[in-house]
Amino acid sequence: MTAFQTALPPALRARGIRLGFGDTAVLAGVDLDLHPREFVAVVGASGVGKSTLLRALAGLLAPQAGVVEIPAGTARDTRAWSMVFQAPRLFPWRRVRGNVELGLEGLSLSRAERRQRALEPLALVGLDELADRWPHTLSGGQQQRVGIARALAVRPRVLFMDEPFSALDAITRRRLQQELIDLRRRAEAAIVFVTHDIEEAVLLADRVMVLGGQAPGQPAGVVATLDIPLPLDDRRDHPGFADCLQAVERHIGAAR
Amino acid sequence: MTAGLSRHRRSLLGAVGLATFLLLWELALRSGLLPGSLVPLPSAIPAVLAAEISDGIWLEVVTASLAHYSVGLLVGSLLGIVVGVAAALLPAVDALHAWLARLLRPIPPLAWIPFAIIWFGINPSAAAFIISIGVFWINYFASYSAVRSVDPGYDEVARAFGQSGFLARLAKVSLPAAAPGILGGLRAGLGQGWMTVVAAELFGIPGIGQRMMEASSLLATDIVVVYMLTIAALYAVFDFLFMILQRRLLRWQP
Repeated sequence: MTAFQTALPPALRARGIRLGFGDTAVLAGVDLDLHPREFVAVVGASGVGKSTLLRALAGLLAPQAGVVEIPAGTARDTRAWSMVFQAPRLFPWRRVRGNVELGLEGLSLSRAERRQRALEPLALVGLDELADRWPHTLSGGQQQRVGIARALAVRPRVLFMDEPFSALDAITRRRLQQELIDLRRRAEAAIVFVTHDIEEAVLLADRVMVLGGQAPGQPAGVVATLDIPLPLDDRRDHPGFADCLQAVERHIGAAR
Repeated sequence: MTAGLSRHRRSLLGAVGLATFLLLWELALRSGLLPGSLVPLPSAIPAVLAAEISDGIWLEVVTASLAHYSVGLLVGSLLGIVVGVAAALLPAVDALHAWLARLLRPIPPLAWIPFAIIWFGINPSAAAFIISIGVFWINYFASYSAVRSVDPGYDEVARAFGQSGFLARLAKVSLPAAAPGILGGLRAGLGQGWMTVVAAELFGIPGIGQRMMEASSLLATDIVVVYMLTIAALYAVFDFLFMILQRRLLRWQP
């Protein structure tokens, strides 16, 4: 983890997270130290509990055991974390601008500041022209961009992304992946990104956390955490890309 | 199959159907096929309406009925929406009221007439009370099911963006997301209100219903028909105005 100043306090620290239904654990023993501005991808077979883990890290649901800390910031006009969902989940009764303002409501911002703060991330995802449109007039890719702008507007220290591109067509997905790479240079957030697409994980992340079953009858856990020591630009063309991909695949294959 | 007809043609056929009905009715009376004591001549209605208006009776009874109607509608809709939304959002309220609602719901609004008279006397409040009961149940059920069927994903979005308080979620998720259903209930209540307005006035509270009873006891069937048509026209006006409001409020819908 040379790329990140591990001396700084982490953006998120999780210890011993256990998740499940009733008394049955599905996923157990998850630890994570997320460094400021770091991008961690979480991969694993469907049903292993990736999205549930993301919600537990965000505090949207309580884990059976374990603790999550997202150290509070000092700024009163930001939020500690925000989330991009698999479906865009925009409020259809609000215009694009109103959707992006959602997380800003309740922060100490004037109306004018709020409008301004909503336009900035919209410009970042290239949709400031569409600020006054209704969500249903947007394409699926545009809606997901609004979802990303909504999450960036609160200037989160941790951004949770739950398979944000999996519902999009291949062309749009590629374009948004590239936009996310570009966005990282301008956004301050550390990112936890859940995906079932190994290539996407290796393409975007600094670290890939592989979840999987370790022994029959036992809850799944973290099989491996792999650093991706590749430059962000044109990663697909990098000679090391295939090796990283194989390494992740090997660990997923070994899990049951 | 009306799918193959143009809009223009459908309107035309609608007018033809109505005109044919009135013509057959007129002919049946004039030929003596139907006795004149049972139904009035359609061609006589406009003159009767003009007489009712020039006597000032029409305006008087319509104003009175409108007053009962608006108060009953307002009270019934408001209470129905409040109780429906509260029951849908608060499990304790839901459980508390479930059996009571099951008990009271099958009672038709008109069955409350004895209590309306005992509690309010023969006066406008009693009519408004009867009207509000029917309107209440329609709005209650519409809002309850509309709020219950709001996508829980929206609630998660609200929580993910710091809007986790009850009031914030009510104002930012539950009410706007359920608005189509709630407005649908309001519109249905608008119609239901007119159905009960006449019945609520039959027992002597001044209004359209009382005037119709008066007329029927004198066998003045033409006056009865004038007020039947009046109710139809008032309903059409209210429904049209509400439809405009509904479209405006739901302009976010595809």
